[in-house]
Amino acid sequence: MSDEYENKAGYQAQSSETISSGGGGSGSASDIDYVRPAEIPEQDLYHGHSFISKWVFCQDAKVIGVQYFLLATFTGVIGLVLSWLMRLQLGFPGAAGFMTAEHYYQFVTMHGMIMVVYFLTALFLGGFGNYLIPLMVGARDMVFPYLNMVSFWSFFVAVGVLLASFFVPGGPTGAGWTLYAPQSILEGTPGSGWGIILMCVSLILFVAGFTMGGLNYMITILQARTRGMTLMRMPLTVWGIFTATVLAMLAFPALLVGALMMTLDNVLGTSFFMPTILKAGEVLEYGGGSPILFQHLFWFFGHPEVYIVALPAFGIVSDLISVHSRKNIFGYRMMVWAIVGIGGLSFFVWAHHMYVSGMNPWFGFFFATTTLIIAIPTAMKVYNWILTLWRGNIRLNVVMLWCLGFIVTFVNGGITGIFLGNVSVDVPLSDTYFVVAHFHMVMGIAPLMVIMGAIYHWFPLVAGRFLNETLGKWHFWLTFLGAYSIYFPMHYLGFIGVPRRYFEMYDSPYMTSAVGMNEFISMAAFIVGAAQFILIFNIIKTLKTGKPAGHNPWQANSLEWLTPSVPPEHGNWGDKLPIVHRWPYDFSVPGSKEDFITQTTPPSEVVETEVEKT
Amino acid sequence: MHPGIIFFLVILGSVLFHIFTPWYWTDIASNWGGMDDTITLSFWIGGGVFIAVCLFMIYCVLKFSYKKDRKAEYKPEDKRLEKILTWATTIGVAALLAPGLIIWNQYVSVPKNALEIDVMAWQWGWQYRLPGKDGKLGTTQVVNINDDNPFGINLDDPYGQDDVLIQSDLINLETNQPVKILLRSVDVLHNWYVPQFRAKMDAVPGIVTYYWFEPNKIGEYEVLCAEYCGVGHYAMRGGVEVQSTKDYDKWISEQETFKDLIVKQQKIEFENKKIVKNNNFLLNKEIYKEE
Amino acid sequence: MSDHKIEGYEFKPGFKGMAHDTGSDQTMFKGVHWGKAMMWIFLLSDTFIFSCFLISYMKGRGSTLVDWPNTSEVFGLHVFGVEVPLLLIALMTFVLITSSGTMALAVKYGYEKNRKMCGWLILATAIGGLIFVGMQAYEWSKLIHEGVRPWENPFGAPQFGSFFFMITGFHGTHVSIGVIFLFIYAYKTFAGHYDEGKKGWFTTMKGDYVEIEILGLYWHFVDLVWVFIFAFFYLW
Repeated sequence: MSDEYENKAGYQAQSSETISSGGGGSGSASDIDYVRPAEIPEQDLYHGHSFISKWVFCQDAKVIGVQYFLLATFTGVIGLVLSWLMRLQLGFPGAAGFMTAEHYYQFVTMHGMIMVVYFLTALFLGGFGNYLIPLMVGARDMVFPYLNMVSFWSFFVAVGVLLASFFVPGGPTGAGWTLYAPQSILEGTPGSGWGIILMCVSLILFVAGFTMGGLNYMITILQARTRGMTLMRMPLTVWGIFTATVLAMLAFPALLVGALMMTLDNVLGTSFFMPTILKAGEVLEYGGGSPILFQHLFWFFGHPEVYIVALPAFGIVSDLISVHSRKNIFGYRMMVWAIVGIGGLSFFVWAHHMYVSGMNPWFGFFFATTTLIIAIPTAMKVYNWILTLWRGNIRLNVVMLWCLGFIVTFVNGGITGIFLGNVSVDVPLSDTYFVVAHFHMVMGIAPLMVIMGAIYHWFPLVAGRFLNETLGKWHFWLTFLGAYSIYFPMHYLGFIGVPRRYFEMYDSPYMTSAVGMNEFISMAAFIVGAAQFILIFNIIKTLKTGKPAGHNPWQANSLEWLTPSVPPEHGNWGDKLPIVHRWPYDFSVPGSKEDFITQTTPPSEVVETEVEKT
Repeated sequence: MHPGIIFFLVILGSVLFHIFTPWYWTDIASNWGGMDDTITLSFWIGGGVFIAVCLFMIYCVLKFSYKKDRKAEYKPEDKRLEKILTWATTIGVAALLAPGLIIWNQYVSVPKNALEIDVMAWQWGWQYRLPGKDGKLGTTQVVNINDDNPFGINLDDPYGQDDVLIQSDLINLETNQPVKILLRSVDVLHNWYVPQFRAKMDAVPGIVTYYWFEPNKIGEYEVLCAEYCGVGHYAMRGGVEVQSTKDYDKWISEQETFKDLIVKQQKIEFENKKIVKNNNFLLNKEIYKEE
Repeated sequence: MSDHKIEGYEFKPGFKGMAHDTGSDQTMFKGVHWGKAMMWIFLLSDTFIFSCFLISYMKGRGSTLVDWPNTSEVFGLHVFGVEVPLLLIALMTFVLITSSGTMALAVKYGYEKNRKMCGWLILATAIGGLIFVGMQAYEWSKLIHEGVRPWENPFGAPQFGSFFFMITGFHGTHVSIGVIFLFIYAYKTFAGHYDEGKKGWFTTMKGDYVEIEILGLYWHFVDLVWVFIFAFFYLW
C-alpha cells in the first residue's frame, strides 16, 4: 500500500473527552454536543495477574477472540488438508494408496463439519465477535467475562472431542456432514460406532459453549453500549454479528435436540429416527421412527447456519468497502433492515434442502416461494455494495481486493442459489456437483474472502503492525483466481449429472468426459490450499518486522480504531469511555477538512459540514 | 496489470466458458424439458445480473481509484433508486419463480394413466416390481422379506399374486408411457436418478415416496444412486432400457410373476435360496476387494 | 419500565415507548439488569429446545407402527385398592405450581429487603422442587419396574418410552439444576450477600436481590414447560 494516506490521521479519541462529559449545558457550543449521562455504572473487570490468568484462562474478550481465531484456524487447516486428500482421490484416483472409500467418506464428513461449524461459525462469531463487539459498541469488555471464557474452553473441548474421533476404533463418522439417519447409525457407514457418538457429543458441547458466548454478544450489544451509541449508529459489522447470534441462539437448539436423539438411537437403541430396517437379510431391532424428522431438525438448524456464517460476512464487508472507498455505505438503513429481514426469513426456508427428500411434495411451493423472496434483500445488499464504490475514492489495497473478490464470488454463488431454491430446477440439480459448487462459492469462498479482508484490515489494530502488502497481493490473486477456477467449472459437472459424494466417477460414459476437468480442479485446489500458507508466513513475519501502524491507520471512523493505546489494552478505553456523536460512515463529508469524521467527533468541531443526522 | 482488468478477464472467461463448454446437459429423454427451459431462463436472468453487477463494479474500480486530492461523493441514500432496484429485483425473481412453480405443480400431479413401478433399494442395489394384469401392485412389508419373498409382498393380498418381479438392477420401460416410480428402501436413504430423465426423489426407509416421468427416447440409460448411502454409494448403479411398445410387450411377457416364483420355489427351493443375499454378497466383495 | 428513573431520559408509554427505548443509546431495555436480560434470552433459546422436543414427539407419535399406550392406564396409581388415573401426576403438578408461588413471594420479599422471609421462601421452593424430582424418580422406577425402557414398552409403541424418558429426563435435569441453585441462593440470602452487595464466585458483579428474580424467571419457565409436557404426555 502507498504512503499517501498514512499518518494523516490524528488520534481523534481524546478530543471528545474534553467536551460534554456530563449532563451540563453551559455554553452554546456544548449544547449541540450534549449526550445524556451514563445509565450504567462502570463495569468492574477482573484483571489477571499470572501468565495463566492473563493469556490462557483469560477473561478479556480480545484475548478470547484471538484464542477463538487461532483454534478455529487450526481446525480450518485440518479441514483444508482433508479437502486436499479428497481432491487427490477425485482428480487422480488411486494416487494415494491408502485411500479407500471409507477414508474418503470420513474425510468428506469431517471436512464439511469442520469448515461449517468449527471453522467459519467459530471464527466469525467467536473470533471477530469477541474482538470487535466490545470495541465497536464502546464497552469495556463483554458483559459476562467469566462466561465468555468458559465459552471458549467449551469450544476447545468440543474441538478436542471432534479430533479424538480420528483415533478411536472405526475412525470418525463418514455419514456426510448432514449426518442423515439411519445412515449415520448403521454399519456400512464408516465410524458408525464411536465416530458418530463423538461427533454428536462434540456438537452438543459446541452448542452449549456457543450459547454462553451468544448470550454475551447479545447482551453486550443490547445493554452495554456507550453513551450516544444508538442501534442505528452501530457499524454494520456489529449488526451482522448480532443478527447471526440471534439466529444461532434459536437455530442451534434444533441441532442439539437432533444430536441428542441420534446419540440415544445409537447408544440406547431407541428408534426416534429408525424405521424397520432389513440389513444383510435380518430385520434389526428398530422400528417406527422417522428418518425425515432428523432432516427437518438438521435443516432447521442448517439453513439459519448458512446465514450465521453469511451475515457477519455481509456486515464486515460493508465496513471494509466503506472505509476503503472513503465513502459512506450506501443505504445504511436498507442494509440494516436487509440483515434483519434475511435473518428472520431464514427460519422459513429450511426445507429447500429437502425438495427431493421424500417429504410431502406440496411443501415445495411454500419453501420455493420463501426461498426466492430471501433473494430480494440479498440482492439489495449487493446493489448497495457496488453503489458504495460508485463515485468513491477507492484505495485498491489488499483489503479492497478481497472485498471485490467477495462481490464476484458471492454474486456468482447467490445466483446459482436461485437455481437451487427454485423447486423444479432443483430436481435435476440437487445431489449433484452443482450443489457442491454452489455452496462452496457462496458460503465457503465468499465468507473466506471477507475473513481474509478482515484480517488484513484489522491486523494493524490487533498487532500494531501492517501485514506485508506484496505478499498479500500474491495471496489474494492465487486464492481468488484459484478458487474461482475450482468452483466455476464444477457447476458444469453437475449439469452433466455427476452426483456428489462419489468416491470414483469415471466409469459412466458421460462422466468420463469430465476426467480432464477433475484433474484441473484438483490442481487448482492444491495451489489455493498452499497459497493460504502465505498468510501464515506473512503474519509470522510482520508480527516482529512489519511496518508500525500507529493510531487509526486506515482513517476509519468506528470506535475500535479510537482506543488510547494500540493494540487496545484490557478495559479498552483507558480512563473514560468514548462518547458517540454520529454514525461510523461520515467519510468525505462536504465541508470537512479531512475525508473522515470519527464517531467521537462532537458536532461543535465540524459545524461547517453538511452531515446527515443519524 | 490493473486489478479491474483482471476481474474483467475473469468475467469474460466465465461467459466464454459457458458458451463453449463441452460439458453440459446430457440429451433429455423424458417429458421434463420444462426444467431445462427454466434453467435456461435462470441463466439468462441470473447470468445477466451477474455480468451487470460485476461490470458495474469493474467500471467503478477503474474510474474511481484513489486520488489524493479528490473527494468521494457524500450520499447516504437514494430512496428512489433503492425502490426501483427493489421492484426490478422482485420482478426478476417472480419471473423465475413462476415457471418453477408451474413445473413443480406438474411434477407432483401424477397423470392417471401412469404405470406404477415399485423400485426397491438396499445397500447396494435395486430391484423392480410391476403390476400384473390387474394393474395394481400388492402391498408389502419389510418384515416379510426373505429368500422366498424378495419383495416382502403380503401373501394375503390378492393384488400381489400377479405382480411381475424383476430381480435385477435393469428395467425396461415403454416409450411415451408415463410411469410413476414408487420408491422404497429397506435400510438407508437412496435416490433413483437417471440424469437423462432429469427427475429424482429419495427412497426413504419406512415410507413410500414417488415421482413420475414419461420416457420419450428409445435407448439405454444408467441409473445412479443420488443420495449418499454408505461406502458402496458410488458403485450403486442400475440400468433402464426404454423400448418401443412392441419390444416392451415382448419383454414383459417373459418376466416372472410372484405366483410363478412361489411355484418355482416350491419345486426347487434349494437353488434359489440366495437371491437377495447373493446380490449383496457380490457387491460387497467388489467394494472391499481393495482392502 | 416506567417505575425506573433514568437521568436525562424521558420514558414514553406503550408501543411508542418501546420504539423510543429501542432507538435510544446505551441500553435497549431501560433499567434491566444484564443478568435478567441474559436469562430472558437464554429462556427463549431453551424454549426452542423444548419446542423441538415436543414437535419431535408429536411427529414420532404419529409415525409409530404400534398403537400408543393408553396414558391414563400407564400413569395410573393404585391407592387403597382403587385405580386412580393421573393421581401422581396431579400431585407433581400441584407441588411444582405451588413452588412457583413461593418463588414469586420470595422475589417480592427480596425486593422488600426482608432477608429472612426471602430466604425461607427460597428454601421452600427448593424443597418443592426436590419433592417434584423425588416423585418423578418414583414414577420412573415404577415404569421401569413394569418393563418400560427407552427402547421397548410392553404397553404399546416403544417410542412412548423413548420420548417419555428423554423429555421428562431433560425437564427433570432442568428442575434439578434449579434446585441446586435455589439452595445456593438460599444460603447466600441468609448469609446476607445480597444486602451487602458481596461479589459472587465467578463474577465481578455485586450481589443484588435482582439475582433472586433472575432465578425466579428460570423457575417459572421450568414450571411452564412442565404444563406443556403434562398436557402433551398425560392428557393427550
